[in-house]
Amino acid sequence: MTTVPTSQRRERPAAHRTPSRRRPPLLVGAGTLLVVLFALLGPLAAPYSPTARLAAPFQQPDGQFLLGTDVLGRDVASRVLSGGRTIVLTALAGTAAAGAVGMSAGVLAAMASRRLGDLMVRCVDALAVLPALLIVLVLAAGFPGSGTAVVAAVALATAPFSTRVLRAAADTVLTSGYVEAALARGDTRWAVLRHDVLPNIAGPALVDTALRLVASLHLTATAGFLGLGQGGAAPDWGRMVSENVPGATLAATPFLAPAMLLVLLSVCVGLLAGRLADTVGRGAA
Amino acid sequence: MNLLAFVGRRLAGAAVLLVLLSAAIFAATAVLPGDAVSAVAGVDASEGQRADVRAELGLDRPAAERYASWAADALRGDLGRGFIGERPVTEVLATRLPNSLLLAGLTLAVTAPLATLLGLWTGLRGGGADRLVSTGAQVLAAVPEFVIAALLIAVLAVWLEVLPRVSVIPLGGTPLDVPRALALPVLTLSAVGLAVATRLLRVSVADAAATPYCEAARLNGVRGVRLAARHILPNAAGPAVQALTLTTGALVGSAVVVENVFDYPGIGRELQLAVAARDVPMVQGIATALVAVMLAVLLLGDICARLLGARERHGR
Repeated sequence: MTTVPTSQRRERPAAHRTPSRRRPPLLVGAGTLLVVLFALLGPLAAPYSPTARLAAPFQQPDGQFLLGTDVLGRDVASRVLSGGRTIVLTALAGTAAAGAVGMSAGVLAAMASRRLGDLMVRCVDALAVLPALLIVLVLAAGFPGSGTAVVAAVALATAPFSTRVLRAAADTVLTSGYVEAALARGDTRWAVLRHDVLPNIAGPALVDTALRLVASLHLTATAGFLGLGQGGAAPDWGRMVSENVPGATLAATPFLAPAMLLVLLSVCVGLLAGRLADTVGRGAA
Repeated sequence: MNLLAFVGRRLAGAAVLLVLLSAAIFAATAVLPGDAVSAVAGVDASEGQRADVRAELGLDRPAAERYASWAADALRGDLGRGFIGERPVTEVLATRLPNSLLLAGLTLAVTAPLATLLGLWTGLRGGGADRLVSTGAQVLAAVPEFVIAALLIAVLAVWLEVLPRVSVIPLGGTPLDVPRALALPVLTLSAVGLAVATRLLRVSVADAAATPYCEAARLNGVRGVRLAARHILPNAAGPAVQALTLTTGALVGSAVVVENVFDYPGIGRELQLAVAARDVPMVQGIATALVAVMLAVLLLGDICARLLGARERHGR
């Protein structure tokens, strides 16, 4: 899991950094863009229906079926093209929900009195004890077959970390001299929030959202693999791996193709988020 | 003395948390409109049959009352019976949990020494090797466990044919009877664990190396293995253990996934099967047990970190 906060401390002196670290991450950025576009636009390019049984199971790739057929004789290429959209959209929705919840809760906890804020963080910590996947599994048991439940579970599992990070960030701003000055000259708390706090925690919030997106993608793909959320025959890279791994000795493409796409997606997004955290962390230091 | 009070306070906190979280699990699975009745009675049951099943399962009582009686039974060591097959939940826990703990123990045995070495090396050396290992760990931690497992299967089970694809354990036997079946699950979990642990240890080591205490040791001419073993490790161990225990939740999740990939007969496999079959009492019992195990690990980690931290203060 990737809920480990990246260290903001840079223990190596500046001279040790090679210039290559500062190059904008063009390759990783292009890779991310490519695979996300592939996932979102892929369904339009699918040659066959992704759910239709067209031939015998586990046929080798040929001219008709570019990547062969899967465990039920469906076209792997069509399913691969169609199977990424749900993952990307669910992960984005989960991240957006978690970001909104974490942001409001974090800022609220920082603006509230010390005791109330501590209490809120205590509650959030209690939620963070639950393994993320356990939340997904339990909610999936409560709401079988619901895609919304997966989004809610992803948000619930990742929001606690955001709340902590953003409360700490907002706290730093709120205890700074210029906020004290603003409050002393009679600015309202709302004005302080809008003009002082929010612009100053935008950087940490962005980094935090990026790290949450990595975790969300991870969870969403895993939920698909475990057959949670929208069930049935709908294509999903995670579920394709679980469907086709038992036939691994018969045909490799049906599970390797979605697996490689998931590797590409998570690695690119992960590296991009790590780079973002490094850059902003360095800017703040 | 002091330590006893500390443990007592933490134990009380963990107990309160367990009650709250078990109530949350109960609420999510039983109060919300998951249709346990259709799971048992079948989708085409008549309204009368459904009412009978509902009464038989006790689902016609208010949720709070059901939770109270469930919790009272749980305290006596009875977590109820699953809807499917009428198996007692505690029996399932007793047979499956040891298998999962074995998996966790083996993973820890592989991961801990390797992560310590890698963490020390990258945290102290810095430079290109550090970047390479850190980026590698970052990449590995981002990839879902089942994808790593699928790639390992592709290489080791299908291409090279050196390891079995599924962990078939003979009926009534333990996983130790078939060590080969354990190899792929342990390998996958270790890869994930190593990625997480190395990153955390690297940070702790770098922090410890930057302390004036270690600076003084270095100036006194202590370096290499001696510096690492005598000065860095004791100082880095406390924070590292604490950080590592916080990742237990993630590793429990990984274990659930890995058990499912390899059909390993652990508690995570059982949980997923229960979720798929909408077996509500089984989900509640297993989820609560997993949370209890996690809280125990967190408590243990806190105590370890405190003991290690006390030693650090002596050192100064």
